[in-house]
Amino acid sequence: MSIQHHPSDETLLRYAAGRLPVAPGLVVATHLSGCVECRARVATFEAMGGSLLEQVTPEPMEPEALARLLAQIDAPAPPPRAPAPRKPLPTLPGGILLPRALRHCEMGRWRWLGPGVRASSLTIAQDPSARLTLLRVGPGRKLPEHGHTGLEFTQILSGSFSDGFGRYRPGDLSEMDSEIDHQPIVDPEGECICLTAMEGEMRIGGMFGRLLTSFARI
Amino acid sequence: MTDVALGGAMPNGEELDRLIQLIASERDKQAFALLYKHFAPRLKAFLLRQGLAASVAEELAQETMLSVWRKASYFDPQRAGAATWIFTIARNLRIDHLRRDRSVSTPDPESEDTVDDGETGEAFVLRAEREERLRTAMKSLSPEQAAIVRLSFFNDKPHSEIASELGLPLGTVKSRVRLALGKLRTLLEGQL
Ligand SMILES: [Zn+2]
Repeated sequence: MSIQHHPSDETLLRYAAGRLPVAPGLVVATHLSGCVECRARVATFEAMGGSLLEQVTPEPMEPEALARLLAQIDAPAPPPRAPAPRKPLPTLPGGILLPRALRHCEMGRWRWLGPGVRASSLTIAQDPSARLTLLRVGPGRKLPEHGHTGLEFTQILSGSFSDGFGRYRPGDLSEMDSEIDHQPIVDPEGECICLTAMEGEMRIGGMFGRLLTSFARI
Repeated sequence: MTDVALGGAMPNGEELDRLIQLIASERDKQAFALLYKHFAPRLKAFLLRQGLAASVAEELAQETMLSVWRKASYFDPQRAGAATWIFTIARNLRIDHLRRDRSVSTPDPESEDTVDDGETGEAFVLRAEREERLRTAMKSLSPEQAAIVRLSFFNDKPHSEIASELGLPLGTVKSRVRLALGKLRTLLEGQL
């Protein structure tokens, strides 16, 4: 099945530049693992990074910097870190695995967020302030309104939802500006599981927004 | 094989690639010193441009070059040229540094393979072709559009910073960024 909805070029450029915050970056990384087209685009933006690096006006290093580094490479390399024990990826409802891009996240319990809506927050050891949420929404149900300013990234893991911009299936990523009024509704065929993160300030939205806001702050 | 110019003219892309391969195959320190002289001051400048303090930029430039020495055998010039490969190392180290700064440190030995490349079946665009296309496309942008693309790359809050740097209202910037990147996409795809 081909992917219909991709991150914007600006998002891919920021990802390639290392300028996307952690949580949206992980949603994009999940998308990339399944999207050849976007991987090629990121590779192009990385090449742009390479050419910007070539073009920048050099800034002299401290006088002894190279000598210090040469001494350092003569010293024995630090022993390789013991590889972290490989935990199996958690299984999500419906039997799919948590995407590998999220393997360093700790998955919280599924919590009730409203009728037909459950959420599990993913925590990232390196960055506890990052807010990344798995949503599990029943057929015909609305996705929670987040109430935030800025961009919202949602990657479909299973099932599908539709909004004014089309239908989103597994592998698709919805990138929405808070200025755009859209209300995704899960398609009647079954439950939808998606990964979502946002950028920018939260503000109080509707009931779900409040719930999700308080939930995300826990 | 081109001989690597000692001093004098700036080494070209192929020569830089060759230096990394010499480091990988011969643990060649002279090659490393040449590569260092070319890239370390550029990395420092690049990191400064991204808003890091001078001491941090210097330290991350050093760490990047140390990684280049240690990881040289992973360099594959068919996938990315020397500058692009080194850029991605510096980018990842900068991200790690910013996380470290939040006083939480969990070493992540796999941090650099967040993207599973999935080589199999990849519509594999050769690196040279990709870089050539990009060069042509960037030249075809208007000066303002090229500046917008560059600023989007460097700045954390690209819209407000582009607005102040180009003297444009913030509202206008959003659509200009979209237009510039749309034009770039058309140019890149038009050359297919
Ligand atoms: Zn894509």
